[in-house]
Amino acid sequence: MKRVKYLYSILIVSLLVGFVSCKKDNPEPTPEPSATTGTVKVKLDHKWGMNWDAFAMNTAYTHPMSAEEITFTKLKYYISNVKLKKTDGTWWSQPESYFLVEVGENTVPELSISGVPVGTYTDIEYTIGVDSTRNVSGSQTGALSTSNGMFWSWNSGYIFIKAEGTSPDSPSGAFEYHIGGFKDENNTNAIRVNTQSFGGELAVTGSNNPMIHFYVNAARFWHGGILLANVNTVHMPGANAITLADNFREAFIVHHIH
Amino acid sequence: MRGIVESIGIITLLFLTACKKELTEVPGGNEYSFLVPSHFPEPYYQFENNEVSQEGFILGRKLFYDKRLSLDNTVSCASCHIREYAFSDPGKKVSTGVEGRVGVRNSPALFNLAWNPSFMWDGGINHIEIMPLAPVTDHNEMDMSMQDLMSKLDTLEEYSLLLQSAFGTREMNDQRFFYALTQFLTLLVSSESKYDRFLEGKVQLTDEELEGKHLFEQNCAVCHAGVLFTDYSYRNNGLLLDPEDNGRERISLNPEDRGKFKVPSLRNSVLTYPYMHDGRFETLEEVIDHYRFGINLTATTDPTLVNGIPLSEEEKAKLIIFLSTLTDAEFCYNPVFGNPFGE
Repeated sequence: MKRVKYLYSILIVSLLVGFVSCKKDNPEPTPEPSATTGTVKVKLDHKWGMNWDAFAMNTAYTHPMSAEEITFTKLKYYISNVKLKKTDGTWWSQPESYFLVEVGENTVPELSISGVPVGTYTDIEYTIGVDSTRNVSGSQTGALSTSNGMFWSWNSGYIFIKAEGTSPDSPSGAFEYHIGGFKDENNTNAIRVNTQSFGGELAVTGSNNPMIHFYVNAARFWHGGILLANVNTVHMPGANAITLADNFREAFIVHHIH
Repeated sequence: MRGIVESIGIITLLFLTACKKELTEVPGGNEYSFLVPSHFPEPYYQFENNEVSQEGFILGRKLFYDKRLSLDNTVSCASCHIREYAFSDPGKKVSTGVEGRVGVRNSPALFNLAWNPSFMWDGGINHIEIMPLAPVTDHNEMDMSMQDLMSKLDTLEEYSLLLQSAFGTREMNDQRFFYALTQFLTLLVSSESKYDRFLEGKVQLTDEELEGKHLFEQNCAVCHAGVLFTDYSYRNNGLLLDPEDNGRERISLNPEDRGKFKVPSLRNSVLTYPYMHDGRFETLEEVIDHYRFGINLTATTDPTLVNGIPLSEEEKAKLIIFLSTLTDAEFCYNPVFGNPFGE
């Protein structure tokens, strides 16, 4: 009787092993045939200057153009409304697409773009900032929650970018750039949209781990006449915010995909 | 027989209609739902995603009266918005926040907020839901970060119970905080003054009140328009300007908006002294005298005020008598809007 039980066990185990190995033997792709979407990771690798030197918070750098000395203590910004372009020229838009990027100890924050339809993609479009609709729609949640400290209380609207730090070249010894503004009147719209080609094809199969690897040049704020010596505090929409938004959008390049 | 049946039918219809009308006519007929008074326009706020419930209102009311919203537990919303004075801060040019800090502008009265397209004297806040963010986080008012406030409220058991009944979760977040406060604030509808009863044909105005009404319509209603007594525009009403406060220009960045402030409603204005964005006038007499012969002309002074408003002393008195008919005691003493902490 004991022996029978033993045989039974062997039989069950072999069946199980057989079942598993059968599954393993299946031809590629391995996932369930129903996988119609995948997740694309976006890495934002923060660097210093166009030579892409290493960048870290709380570290003093010399600006490659102005030679001003700059130390970052905070760098936070919104990336929103991510879109991906398929090889057939159509665009896929991620719904509810709002990410608050915060550069900390880890200077390579990673965004997960989920629900991307299986396919091959060539370009990405994204907004640096928050679309005007969400600036006038009352209380929001998640990345857009006011608890993130990225909303102006006295002049409703999101602070799209917060860059703060210290500098001996600033008259105040510090800099605080709070960049935002969504209205077209009086030219205060600081929403910036970038469209960039991968220079290759990004396949989303539902089982692979596609990644778009950006380099982001933190030195790019100081460009087009913006020097710490003359602009060290920006706390509202307006001309300086516009220039800084124009500058920072140029900080992003797609370095590679895989 | 047929005639009798028809009559009964008509009488029943009339009765039903009357009942229905009564409901819309009395705000707070159900005291926890938002009803548009029959003589008011449609509100600006649409209650999208945030329909008023009794539980949400009660949560919002508690938050409004809770001093723990401030950094040192000394200041609540109600500290500067006192119910008996139509939720204004009587007698204070500017209000006092934590540690005795003072602000720069006069605390506005709070009523009929669902009709406001924007908030604050310069209209800088574009949505009622996020209006409380300013007083909560302002250094001179409650001086709390939203993050710290949410953590603080999360430690209070009494709130988790209220949250559970209002929103089906015990966890506080800023959206639930704003939604609940919005539910309380939008229900602060002031529509039962003597003037409202007059509009509804329920009472007569005295001869003096009627004369005052006529003067008002001729001289003031251009800006203090309609049944809400404001057109919600921004205007420079000829005050001698403080170079430190450019009003609407700070928001619009348009020099044409220099010295412009939002036209306030004149409902309950007898109670909401002092007056103007900086509380510079203590009485309605002073306010009217300013319009009579105090207009300061600048590039942005409202064109309607360039020659002032010529009124005799007698007319001034009648105007104030009319403004008194806009006082809504039912609103100011409605216990539903009172302090749940029983202080």
